[in-house]
Amino acid sequence: MTQLKTFSSSVDASGIEARFGLRMAAMLNEQADRTPHDISERLRVAREQAIARARTSRQLAAAPATATQRLGRAGNALMLGGGNPWFNRLASALPLLLLVVGLMVIDELHDRQQIQAAAEVDVALLGDELPPDAYRDAGFVEFLKSRE
Amino acid sequence: MATDKELSDFLKSVEKRAFKRTVYTVRDEDAALDIVQDAMIRLAEKYADRPAAELPLVFQRILSNATMDWFRRQKVRRGVMQNMSEFEGSDEDGDFDLLEMLETIEGSMGAESAADTVGREQILLLIESEIAQLPGRQREAFLMRYWEEMDVAETAAAMGCSEGSVKTHCSRAVHALAKALKAKGITP
Repeated sequence: MTQLKTFSSSVDASGIEARFGLRMAAMLNEQADRTPHDISERLRVAREQAIARARTSRQLAAAPATATQRLGRAGNALMLGGGNPWFNRLASALPLLLLVVGLMVIDELHDRQQIQAAAEVDVALLGDELPPDAYRDAGFVEFLKSRE
Repeated sequence: MATDKELSDFLKSVEKRAFKRTVYTVRDEDAALDIVQDAMIRLAEKYADRPAAELPLVFQRILSNATMDWFRRQKVRRGVMQNMSEFEGSDEDGDFDLLEMLETIEGSMGAESAADTVGREQILLLIESEIAQLPGRQREAFLMRYWEEMDVAETAAAMGCSEGSVKTHCSRAVHALAKALKAKGITP
C-alpha cells in the first residue's frame, strides 16, 4: 500500500512538472515571438546563406559521381560493345579462332612448297638429255663427284 | 534526403528558439547570432543529405557543440565549468508546493486583463532571466524537453547522457524555476 502511494505520488509529481515545464515553454514562445526585427532579419539572412551552402554542397557531391558514371559507361561501350554477353563470348573466342586458321594456312603453304620443289626436280630430270637410269649406275655417280 | 524547402522550413521553425537558448547560455546577443549562424551552416554543409526527420536532433547536437566551441574560443573555461556544474542541494525544497505554484500560474494566465500587458512583458523577461541563471545542463535538458518538445530519449541522445540524468536535470530545473519565481512573487 505504501509502495502504491509512493508510485502514485511520483507519477503525480512528474505530471505536475511536465505541466509546469510546458507552461514555461509557452511563455518562452510568446517572448520568442517578440524577437526584435533586426535579429529576425539577421537570422533570415543566416538561414538563406545556410540553404545556399547546402545547395552548393549537394552539387559538389553529385558532380564527380555523374562524371565517373559517364566515363565508366563510355569505357564499357568502347571495350566491350556495350556489354552484350554474346559479343563478349565471341570476343573471347576470336584469338583462338585466328590461331587455328593461321596454323592451317601455314600447313597449306608448306605442302605447296614441297609439291613445287618435287615438281621442279621431276621437270629437271625429265627435261635433261641424260636418262634417269644413268643415276643408278655407280660409276656415273663417282664420275659426277670427281667433277665437282 | 531533405529538400531545400524542408531544410529552410526546419531552420525557420527553430531559429528563434535556437537564438534565445544560445543567448541564455552565452549572454551575448551578437555572439548568439554568430553561433546560431555557424550551427545552421554546419548543418547545411554536412547533414543536408539526411532525412528531414533527423534534422532536429542533429541540429541540437551541432548547436551545443558550436556553443562549446565559442566558449573554448573565448577562453572562459572557468566560467563554463561553473555554469555547467551541477546544482547541488536543489532537491531540498522544504515545504515548497509545485502544484500550488502551477495552479496560481494557470489561474492568472486565463484571467489576464489589458492593464496587465506591460507587467506581463516584465514577467516574461524575468522568467527568461531565471532560466538563464539555471545551471547549464539543467537549462539544456529543460529547454530541449519542454521547449523543443523532444522526448527523454532524444534529449539524452542530444546531450550525450542517460535518460535518468535527463529526468533528474529536468526535475531540478522545474523546481529551481518555480522556487525562484515564487521568491520574486511572480504569478505570471
